[in-house]
Amino acid sequence: MKPTKHDKLGILLFLIPGLFLFTLFFIIPVIYVLVTSFTQWNGMTAPVFTGLQNYIKIFSDATFRRSVSNNVIWALVAGCVQVPLAMLMALILSKKPRGWKFFRTVYFFPQVVSGIALAMLWQAIYNSEFGLLNGLLKVLGLEQYATNWLGNPDTAFFSVVIYWVFYIGYYMVIMMSEITGIDEAYYEAAEIDGATKIQQDIKITIPLIKNSLLTCVTLAVVLGLRTFEQVYILTNGGPMNRTSVMVLYLYKQMQSSNYGRANAAAMTLIVVGTCTILLIRKLFNLRGEKT
Amino acid sequence: MKIFQKASAIALSAAMILTMASCGSSASSSAPASSSGGGETSAAGEIELNFPCIWVAKDSKAQVFGEMVAAFNEENAGKIKIVIEEQTDYQAYRDKIRTMITTGNAPDIFTIDNIDDLNNFSRSGKLLDLTPYVTDEWAADFTAGVLDDAKVDGGLYALPYESAYFPVMYNKKLLADVGYDHFPTTYDELWDCCEKLKANGITPMSQMTGENAYTTQLWFSQAIVAIGGKDVYANGLSDPAFVEAAEMVRKMFDYTTSDAVGAGASISAGHFLNERTAIFMNGPWFFGRVPTEGTESLNANVDLAFPPMATGGKGEEKGLTGQVQAYLALGNQTDPAKAEAAVEFLKFITDPEWVAKLSVSAGSLFAVKFDEPEGMSALQSKLVSMIAEAPYVAPVFQISVPVATMTEFPQALDALVMDEYTPEQFIEVLSSIS
Repeated sequence: MKPTKHDKLGILLFLIPGLFLFTLFFIIPVIYVLVTSFTQWNGMTAPVFTGLQNYIKIFSDATFRRSVSNNVIWALVAGCVQVPLAMLMALILSKKPRGWKFFRTVYFFPQVVSGIALAMLWQAIYNSEFGLLNGLLKVLGLEQYATNWLGNPDTAFFSVVIYWVFYIGYYMVIMMSEITGIDEAYYEAAEIDGATKIQQDIKITIPLIKNSLLTCVTLAVVLGLRTFEQVYILTNGGPMNRTSVMVLYLYKQMQSSNYGRANAAAMTLIVVGTCTILLIRKLFNLRGEKT
Repeated sequence: MKIFQKASAIALSAAMILTMASCGSSASSSAPASSSGGGETSAAGEIELNFPCIWVAKDSKAQVFGEMVAAFNEENAGKIKIVIEEQTDYQAYRDKIRTMITTGNAPDIFTIDNIDDLNNFSRSGKLLDLTPYVTDEWAADFTAGVLDDAKVDGGLYALPYESAYFPVMYNKKLLADVGYDHFPTTYDELWDCCEKLKANGITPMSQMTGENAYTTQLWFSQAIVAIGGKDVYANGLSDPAFVEAAEMVRKMFDYTTSDAVGAGASISAGHFLNERTAIFMNGPWFFGRVPTEGTESLNANVDLAFPPMATGGKGEEKGLTGQVQAYLALGNQTDPAKAEAAVEFLKFITDPEWVAKLSVSAGSLFAVKFDEPEGMSALQSKLVSMIAEAPYVAPVFQISVPVATMTEFPQALDALVMDEYTPEQFIEVLSSIS
């Protein structure tokens, strides 16, 4: 049914407060960030227009390029490893094996702990002098693999990313709630047709939780792109900027009172993020579908 | 309709990403609206002044500083009230103040801990010029020259308060075990001492490249001055002393713990406090941690020494490095009564008697002169006498270069100590940062 003129007016009236707030707290700040990204500005004195200088500067900076690539890797790992892991656990726990409630709580628990606290915990685990990881390697007779995990350029980024990958509880719970809502009749019919549990998951469950999967992938990728606190706490971008990410780069520019450059980095971040999300939507082939 | 759908998809996607930008700047944009414009004058005529303060909670100055504020409020009950806004993280505090000043909401009272911020804030027009308020009598309470050194473009926008000096802290017992009954007086002797400690199974030095690489930056500063003399910063980083000092710092990492690359201040200090390392450098505020956080035997084993000299260097024997650790600043006020009230508070907290009390309790030293009070720890007393003996107190690297250089310092240091950069490249990279 097509909305009437009266309906359209009603819709518009309901949208106005939201649009006003969206404009005030999103559109205007983004325009401000965009405009000042073309200026040299220390935050104290008036900005001076410098054209594309900030963009040229950051793109010719190896640290920024590395930050972008680290973010892309992070987002890919989040979308391609973390979410599938969460989906796997959701599929297993949805079958309600013994102790499933315990495991659901255990997997979700890290989500209620501050990311800073987790990062500090892992900093202690990774420490080369007294850390748990090296201690464990020694006990297992694998001492030759012990290293300064966060200080070694070959292991630092991997170490920062890998622990985060296993915190899957948030996505797992989203998908579990969707799985719970699937009509049992589908599975009964599949069982009569002789489908195995794995076949049921592949042919019934996964296609029916496609929307949740899209939500989880989008959230995971966005969180991957906006990663900051764990890198800041664990390595502050080191060693040698090997673990730097875009928000950390932006933050360091602000620390140095290079607000123009920081805003250029922020604009790049917005563009990269927007393109990534649109790409995800495309990959899930949801164009034109109602979501 | 499709265009609208596409546009809304882009807008929503961008909105999700915006949270990232706000997250990135969360530490700096956390200035609460309640702080904007600082305090107010109540109907009863009491002037309320807002003071985001770092000397709270577990800070070594928290107790006595809290007493000072309480005493001031009591003395000025009904007239002036200082409202402390607790800040416990130094970096977050810096970010907060920068953001508040950038957005035109300088707090009524606040502290600054680096020259770059002092210069930028002073030139922003958001700070109160204290020149007309600082009488000769008040100025006489400060150590010679510090007020002049704090001036920016002829204006006095902040008063130097806490001062830091950086002696070497060493573990007498561990050094005695390898035949050193004194701390090495030259770097050649230091390397020899480190070799002997290493051979004896003791890691010689605590170093760090994590966070802001603070304590290693202090060693770098000492080495620079030992080689290039106290005026080494006069010609920027072009003096060959910087490259030589970088080479020395590189060598120091041959004698440090395996976690030094990436280690933060707590890890670096923790090794010394647990007697896992024998040599450490930090400011006087660290003294208080020795008896409370160190091993049982550490307090008796720690001693202070002048930093070593470089053979053929321009640095003098017993030369120290130091810096003003905290400046007191006031936000510019449109109401002269509020400005007067804020100045009154500064006068109160720079009173030599209170400062002496603060010094004893915190182990810190100040730019305000006071007679050595009773109750000073042995380490603090020794440092006071060392300062009196020092022919100069040269600035440290951190306050002699722009903040941007210091922001990149830890990463460049990583590259230096992992042999990715030569000392020349290290200095070149630091020089090129703008």
